[in-house]
Amino acid sequence: MAMHGMRGLSVFISDIRNCQNKEQERLRVDKELGNVRTRFKNEKGLTPYEKKKYVWKMLYIYMLGYDVDFGHMEAVSLISAPKYPEKQVGYIVTSCLLNENHDFLRVAINSVRNDIIGRNETFQCLALTMVGNIGGREFAESLAPDVQKLLLSSSCRPLVRKKAALCLLRLFRKNPDVVNVDGWADRMAQLLDERDLGVLTSSMSLLVALVSNNHEAYWTCLPKCVKILERLARNQDVPQEYTYYGIPSPWLQVKTMRALQYFPSIEDPNTRRTLFEVLQRILMGTDVVKNVNKNNASHAVLFEALALVMHLDAEKEMMSQCVALLGKFVAVREPNIRYLGLENMTRMLMVTDVQEVIKRHQVQIIASLKDPDISIRRRALDLLYGMCDVTNAKDIVEELLQYLSSADFAMREELSLKAAILAEKFAPDLSWYVDVILQLIDKAGDFISDDIWFRVVQFVINNDDLQPYAAAKVKEYLHKPAVHETMVKVSAYILGEYSHLLARRPGCSPKEIFSILHEKLPTVSTTTIPILLSAYAKILMHTQPPDQELQNQIWAIFTKYESCIDAEIQQRAVEYFALSRKGAALMDILAEMPKFPERQSSLIKKAEDAEVDTAEQSAIKLRAQQQTSNALVVTDQRPANGAPPPVPVGQLSLVKVPSMITTEDNGTLSKVDPQPPSADLLGDLLGPLAIEGPPGATVPSEHNAVSGLEGAAEAVDGSAIVPVEVETNTVKPIGNIAERFHALCLKDSGVLYEDPYIQIGIKAEWRAHHGRLVLFLGNKNTAPLISVQALILPPGHLKMELSLVPETIPPRAQVQCPLEVVNLRPSRDVAVLDYSYKFGANMVNVKLRLPATLNKFLQPIPVSAEEFFPQWRSLSGPPLKLQEVVRGVRPMPLSEMANLLNSFRLMISPGLDPNPNNLVVCTTFYSENTHAILCLVRIETDPADRTQLRMTLASGDPTLTFELKEFIKEQLVSIPMVPRAPAAAPPAPPAAQLTPQIPANDPAALLAGLL
Amino acid sequence: MIKAVMVMNTQGKPRLAKFYEYLPVEKQQELIRRVFAVLCGRAENVSNFIEAESIFGPDSRLVYKHFATLYFVFVFDSSENELAVLDLIQVFVETLDKCFKNVCELDIVFNYSKEMTLLENIFWIHTILDEIIFGGQVLETSSAEVMKAVEEISKLEAASNAITLIPKSASGWRSR
Repeated sequence: MAMHGMRGLSVFISDIRNCQNKEQERLRVDKELGNVRTRFKNEKGLTPYEKKKYVWKMLYIYMLGYDVDFGHMEAVSLISAPKYPEKQVGYIVTSCLLNENHDFLRVAINSVRNDIIGRNETFQCLALTMVGNIGGREFAESLAPDVQKLLLSSSCRPLVRKKAALCLLRLFRKNPDVVNVDGWADRMAQLLDERDLGVLTSSMSLLVALVSNNHEAYWTCLPKCVKILERLARNQDVPQEYTYYGIPSPWLQVKTMRALQYFPSIEDPNTRRTLFEVLQRILMGTDVVKNVNKNNASHAVLFEALALVMHLDAEKEMMSQCVALLGKFVAVREPNIRYLGLENMTRMLMVTDVQEVIKRHQVQIIASLKDPDISIRRRALDLLYGMCDVTNAKDIVEELLQYLSSADFAMREELSLKAAILAEKFAPDLSWYVDVILQLIDKAGDFISDDIWFRVVQFVINNDDLQPYAAAKVKEYLHKPAVHETMVKVSAYILGEYSHLLARRPGCSPKEIFSILHEKLPTVSTTTIPILLSAYAKILMHTQPPDQELQNQIWAIFTKYESCIDAEIQQRAVEYFALSRKGAALMDILAEMPKFPERQSSLIKKAEDAEVDTAEQSAIKLRAQQQTSNALVVTDQRPANGAPPPVPVGQLSLVKVPSMITTEDNGTLSKVDPQPPSADLLGDLLGPLAIEGPPGATVPSEHNAVSGLEGAAEAVDGSAIVPVEVETNTVKPIGNIAERFHALCLKDSGVLYEDPYIQIGIKAEWRAHHGRLVLFLGNKNTAPLISVQALILPPGHLKMELSLVPETIPPRAQVQCPLEVVNLRPSRDVAVLDYSYKFGANMVNVKLRLPATLNKFLQPIPVSAEEFFPQWRSLSGPPLKLQEVVRGVRPMPLSEMANLLNSFRLMISPGLDPNPNNLVVCTTFYSENTHAILCLVRIETDPADRTQLRMTLASGDPTLTFELKEFIKEQLVSIPMVPRAPAAAPPAPPAAQLTPQIPANDPAALLAGLL
Repeated sequence: MIKAVMVMNTQGKPRLAKFYEYLPVEKQQELIRRVFAVLCGRAENVSNFIEAESIFGPDSRLVYKHFATLYFVFVFDSSENELAVLDLIQVFVETLDKCFKNVCELDIVFNYSKEMTLLENIFWIHTILDEIIFGGQVLETSSAEVMKAVEEISKLEAASNAITLIPKSASGWRSR
């Protein structure tokens, strides 16, 4: 670095170092900046050497942490200097001082381009590095073709090419259009044949970015990735310098496996087998050793392999192998591995149902909650939260409560929120839930958000059985010497409402209750006093026969607060005082709180919102997001954004029933958000405290003012506290029923139906002509669902047997009802579940299609050309072989159609038809009458017109041929739901469209004729 | 993507900071301070991970390694594998070690008493880092390859210098 002989620079640095304090330093820096600025301004003809000197000074000042907002032009102009030293300084300083938004950078584009297309490798590297670090959109547009050329050039050294790969990645990020998908996909595949591991690593990073954007275009890269992985795993042709602690380039292994996770699945059985062999090797062959660095490297590979196995939905055996490995990790001493073991277990929970296996490690995981490392404790908390269900909730929540007292302050809020949510979701009984929340408030009152105590009050109000218990419990807490203010709030609220239920117990007379509450008044803030005043008013009302002494005491308090400076307190005091003199009227006005309308817990909603991670693009995460854990369901598929149109479902639609209870106007069919509008909880809780007369009661007009105490709440809650009125709202389903059904035709578990009260999940296993479905009926409420009835209306071709459905589903519980299915013969008819229940006064009756569709009895089968053609020929003509031209097909790229068919278990057999526009499908159909029958399908598409195709089907059973033809047609003509978001689907690859029409003498066409 | 590389000593003095996403200088310094505040409270023999989202925003991860009097900190997003980034710190440190003789004296390397050597060291450290991470992506993972690239630059430096004064440290490893 040619800085020698720059005496001025040396003096300046030395001055800076001799500064006694920051202030002196600043003065010296300002002086120098002034000096440099004048030089740049006045002396037009600065030599490159001088420029370089001043630019270095600027850089040094910048490194000291000062802003340098001039001289950028000079720095940029050095880039075009012909000689290395100046050019180098120009590039370095430009990269440091400027960012992509600087205008001056534009000036440099030409010089940078000249360096990139020039022959000097050093200059190429300098230019690529700068563009790779700060290049913006304009750079992307002007330089991408040149950078691509460098990357592909065989005459370039690896040193330049690997930089070109990452530079292109940067440009692609700035403007994805600079990489032309059609032209680039093949080149990308070629790049993966590279032998040099440096270039290959960079190319793999580029591929990861490209496939994360559009995996379909790059599917030819998939087998190459598997090959690279195989090469590394077998340590073939890996030079010494890329072997890190005995492991062949762990980075490249990791990147390659990351790239593979962006492909939704691996269809080719050979590729899949090879990959699973490699993965198996990694899973089995990694041990914890003494050397920390070797451990890190080998486990980097191992954890990536685990992620890939999870993504690929490996066979159960391999999955449990993964869980076993993770179980080993959560017990090892090595903290990094323990940390990642916990993290990956949490991830695993979300993708597969391995919960039972993970539960075996519960003791170990709980022990990690006491790890000296807070990072590990956090992971353990996340995992415990994720793995909690009805069976272990008691253990886990009690562990969390215990840990709360010793937990770091940084974790307490999260900890208490999580404990509260788990207690609510999985409470075996409600009194336990109340115990947990009260303990939380007691132990960590400062960290308990209002949501938590609002929620417990809602539960108590909605459950009559719980009220005396809760009242007795809060009273116990009030006897403690130090009581948190939140506890005072909850106690005042609950005792105000329900202490009269305890009146016969010792120490629970109205007077005694009043005096324990009133003891707390001097210790609380102004937000709590209004709640206390309400409680006093209610206690007074409940005191029968009236107690003169108590009344005087309470009146004295009201009188005292009549002149309170806080408007809220003053108003309550005045009004309660006036009201309590009215005697009987008080009874109406201060009547018990009505039940709250059921709604999703704001706590749970809050937690769910916090968990949505938009930045994350990895395939695993995407899947995990779709499957938020929920107490009530197996999986919870929320509709993708975009309002699903109300799909008519004919006679199978919901039977709408007028409802007695006011529900919020939630989830209409066309509504995007299935959640009820987030209600103002505070308004809910405190609003009804405000005094609102029952309909018809004569309420003095000033009381309306009182009801306004929580702002706008009264308008909403006015109706909530008037249960007398019959509302004609209906129970509406959440999400689109038809869409849910179609999704379940493609997969075997998910939600079939949901409304504000119930969620019906389904999980199915299919073997030959047998099916075993389990219906999960989850009561979402804090009150039981009664008169539950479920009837199956099977079509003629299915034998179905539903096990007994219990008549009552307890609050927040889930019941499982197995359903056995036997397929007798081919038919497209569907079974219907006729389901009804009662909630409060609501009678809900729903008829739902069950996803026991034709395709569920198909089993894909790979068929070779030698087997296929004789079969195809032997099944000649109708009724065994049918052909039809289908019009009005929803246009989609061929690859998408192939995916769709594959997901219906209609397995695409590539290579049988030489025409790339055609698809050949082989599958086996199972029914009791026919046993296994081979079905062969050929679909010929017209690249010029994607809305039509010709379909030929053949099987040994005429009904099957017909039914299957109709079934496939239904799926293609009006695809009810696209398996992936349509926005992500690329337009049909123009390459396919360019394929010329095959002339009659073409050998392929001849073969097609034979077909 | 790697978002930032920072090196700071155990007193919290930043020795190197490179952010691969643009951030104003003051913001960079604030982030370094906040990272140090967490790091200095951590015991030995704990994991190399700390919670980063509260400092760097969503989708951030952080791994660090403690060598003698220095913390090496890499911040990245979920597209990177945590342990692989940890390995990368090791490659960076091993390469520095080869160039500057002894990793234990790295803090001195970062704060050399001779003014010119200080700047030169900073230059070489940046050059080495640029050969390992490029625009937030892993460029090279082989310490030997990084050395080769840096050596070429050092030869150019030597050739372009009339008064051939290669940094001692650099000339030291160049002859290896």
